[in-house]
Amino acid sequence: MNRRGLLSAAALAVLMSTTSFNAFADDAFWAKAAEPYKGITIRGVSESTPSSNYAKDVLAKEFSEKTGINIQFETTSWDQMYDKAIKDMEAGSGIYDFVYIEQDIIYSYLSRDFLVNITQSLKDNPSIASPTFKPEEFTTFANYFKGENGDLYGMPMEAFIKTYLYRTDLFEDAAVKEQFKAKYGWDLAPAKDHKQYREIAEFFTQYGQDNDLELWGTTVQASSGHPASFYEFVESIAPTFGVYNWGLNTETWAATVENGGTMNSDKAKEALNWWIGNLQYAPPESTSSTWDEVAASFSAGRAAQAFVYGENTAWIATDDTKSTVVGKVGVALPPVAPGVMEEIEAGKGYIGYYDGGAFGVPHSSKNKEAALLFLQYIGQDSVQVDWAVNAARVTHQTTYDDPRVQEQDQKTNGYYTLMRDQGKLFAGAPAFPFHGQLREAIAPFFYDAITGSITPDEALDRAAARAEEELTRLGYRKN
Amino acid sequence: MRSPVTGWLFLAPTILVLTVFGFVPFIYVAFVGFFDWNPFAANPDLVFAGVNNYRRLVFDNQFLRSIGLTLQFTFWVVLSQLIIGYLLAQLFMRDFPLKGLFRTIHTLPLLVAPIAVGAAWRLLCVPGLGPLPYYLNRWFGIDFRLGSFEHQAFITTVVMDIWHWTPLVTLTLLAGLSAMPKEPFESAQVDGANRWQIFWHIMLPLLKPVLITTTFIRLMDALRTVDEVWMLTGGGPGTATRYIGLHIWRVVFPQTDYGYGAAMSLMTLYLTIMLCWFLYVGLVARKPRAS
Repeated sequence: MNRRGLLSAAALAVLMSTTSFNAFADDAFWAKAAEPYKGITIRGVSESTPSSNYAKDVLAKEFSEKTGINIQFETTSWDQMYDKAIKDMEAGSGIYDFVYIEQDIIYSYLSRDFLVNITQSLKDNPSIASPTFKPEEFTTFANYFKGENGDLYGMPMEAFIKTYLYRTDLFEDAAVKEQFKAKYGWDLAPAKDHKQYREIAEFFTQYGQDNDLELWGTTVQASSGHPASFYEFVESIAPTFGVYNWGLNTETWAATVENGGTMNSDKAKEALNWWIGNLQYAPPESTSSTWDEVAASFSAGRAAQAFVYGENTAWIATDDTKSTVVGKVGVALPPVAPGVMEEIEAGKGYIGYYDGGAFGVPHSSKNKEAALLFLQYIGQDSVQVDWAVNAARVTHQTTYDDPRVQEQDQKTNGYYTLMRDQGKLFAGAPAFPFHGQLREAIAPFFYDAITGSITPDEALDRAAARAEEELTRLGYRKN
Repeated sequence: MRSPVTGWLFLAPTILVLTVFGFVPFIYVAFVGFFDWNPFAANPDLVFAGVNNYRRLVFDNQFLRSIGLTLQFTFWVVLSQLIIGYLLAQLFMRDFPLKGLFRTIHTLPLLVAPIAVGAAWRLLCVPGLGPLPYYLNRWFGIDFRLGSFEHQAFITTVVMDIWHWTPLVTLTLLAGLSAMPKEPFESAQVDGANRWQIFWHIMLPLLKPVLITTTFIRLMDALRTVDEVWMLTGGGPGTATRYIGLHIWRVVFPQTDYGYGAAMSLMTLYLTIMLCWFLYVGLVARKPRAS
C-alpha cells in the first residue's frame, strides 16, 4: 500500500471510529437522561398524516428502544385530534404528554397558556437537554411555534407547502399538446393564471369524456360538510386573487368591505366564483373531498391537475403501492391573478399555504421530562433525512442538501427544491387567537355555496357579516 | 317486614351513580347556560349573561333549522323502523328455511358501533369508489353524490339509521308477539273476525305496551343521533343533515362556545321531554280507563 493509500485508510478509520463514537455517545446520552423515567409510558395524540405516522411507526419505536420510555401514540382524524387535545388541556386532566399543534391553532393555545415553554424547560433542567438537539438548525418555519419571548413552545415536526401538482404524462404528450393548442391557442403548460387553469381543467375533462377515461380536469377540496373546503378557499385560493388573512383587517378585525375588510370584496367574490366554478371540471367525489380525498383522487389518476398538501407529494410521486401516477407528477407554483406576484414579492401577501405542525407538551402533562426527551429526539438533525424522504416534510435547513433528499427531489420533479427556493412566497395561517371559533361561525356559508343553495357572492356577504358579529361577541372587535 | 334501610342500601349504588354522572353534570350544564363562556374569547372567564343564551336560541336560524331537521329525521326513522320491524317480527314468528341464519344476520348491525356504521356507509357512498353511486347510476341513472345534493344526504342518513336500528325494534316486537296469549286470537277466528279486525282490535292493543316502549326508546335515540351522521356527512352538504346533536357538538367543541352550547343542550332536553310527554298523552293517557 502506498503512502496515499495508507493515509486514506487511516482517515477512513478515524472517520468511522468518530462516527461510531458519536453514535455511541448519543445513545449513551438518551439512556442516561431517560434513566429516571425508564419504564413509564407517555401518551401523545396527533392527526393521522404521513409525518405523524412516520413519527409513530419509526421514531417512537427507536426512542423507546434507546430510552426504555414507552410511547402510546394515537393518530386519528383531524377533528378528533383537536377534540381530544383541547378537552384534555382545558380540563387539565393530564391524559396526554404531547399533543399535535397545527400551526394555525398555536396562537389559541398560547393565549390560553396550554403549553410548556420548551426552551425554558430545557434550560431549567440541563440533565434532559440533549447535546444533539440544536434549535438553530430549524428552518425559519420554527418561528411560527415561538412565543413573543422568542422561546419555542412546539417542536416543529412537519412543514410543507400546498403545491400545484399536474400530470406530466398528460401535459407532455405530443398529441394532447397539439389538440390543446388547436383549441386554446397557447402551449399546454402548468397554469400561470386562473384563466389558464380553468382552460386546462375544461380541456382534460372533455379529454376524459372523449376517451372514456375516469379523468377530470382538476380536484377541488370542496367537502360540503367539513372545514377542509373553507381552508382550501381562505388559505390556497383567496391569496392567489390577492385576498389575505381570510379577508380580515388585522387591525380592526373588520371583515366587510364597508368596515375596511376584504372578505366580501370583489376580488374575494371573483375567487370564490372561480373556485366553485371548477367543480364542473372535478371528479364527482369533490364535494365530499377533504385534503385526504384530494390526494387520493390525484394519486388514483382521476385528475390532470390539483392543489395538494405537500406532505402527500412524496408518496403520490414515488410509492407505487398507493399511487397510480408514480413518475408522472410535476410540481409548480399555484396560478395567480395579475399583480398578485408583485404584491407577494413586495412582502404584502403570500401565494398559498405553508402548512406545518409541531408537538407540544401541555402544562397538564404528568410526564413532562420524558415528553421533552421524546420531542428533542425527533428534533435532532440526524433523524430528519429519512423523515423528509418518507413524508415530504422539511424542518431543518441542512436536510435539503442530503443526497437522499436530492434523489427524492428528482423523483418528485423538484418538490423539495420548490419548497426550499419558493417557500418564502407561502405563509402559515394568520396569528388569530380565535381561529377555530371564527371558522365554525362562517364555514357553513361556504358549504351552502358549494351545494348551490346560495350564490358565492351571497355566501361571502353573509360570511363577512357573521364574522364581524362573532368577533364582536368574542370581544375582539369593538364597534 | 324488612327495614326500609335495607331498601335504601340496595338503592344506594344506583342513586350514587345517578347523582355523580347524571344530576351533578345536569346542574353544572344548567349553571353554565347562564354564562357567556368561551375560553378563546378576549375574556376567557365566565361572564354572567342571565337568560341571554336562551334569548339567542329563539333567533338562531341554524338552531331552529337543526331542530326542524331532527324532527323530520326522527319522524321518518321511527315510523319506518316500527313498520319494518313489525313486519320482520311477524316473519320471524313463522317457520321458513334458514330462519335462524337469517335472524342472526339481521341482528348483526346492532353489534356494530355507530361510528363504524357511519364509516362503512361513507365508503359505500363515495362516488368513484363506493358501490351505491355506481349501481344507482347504472341501474336507475341516478347521479348520487352525498356532498352535492341535500335530499340525497338526508334520505341516506334516514336509511342508514333504519338499517342500523330496525333489528332492535324487530327483537323487542318479536318478544312482544311471542308472549301473546293464543286464546283471544282463536276466539276472534271462531267469531268470524277478518285479518284486519284481528290486527286492529286484538293484536295492536296487546302489543301496545311493547310498541310504546320501543317507540320512546327509538325516539329518544333518534333525537340525539350524532356519531353515524357525523361520520357519513359531517352535517352536510351545507347544513342539510346537521341534526341537533351534531349542531350542539360543533358549538361546544370546535367553536368552544360553552355557555351557549349548554343552553342549547338544556333546551333540546326540554323539547325531547315535551315531545315524549305529548306522545305519552296521545298514546297512553288520552282515554280515561273505566274504573
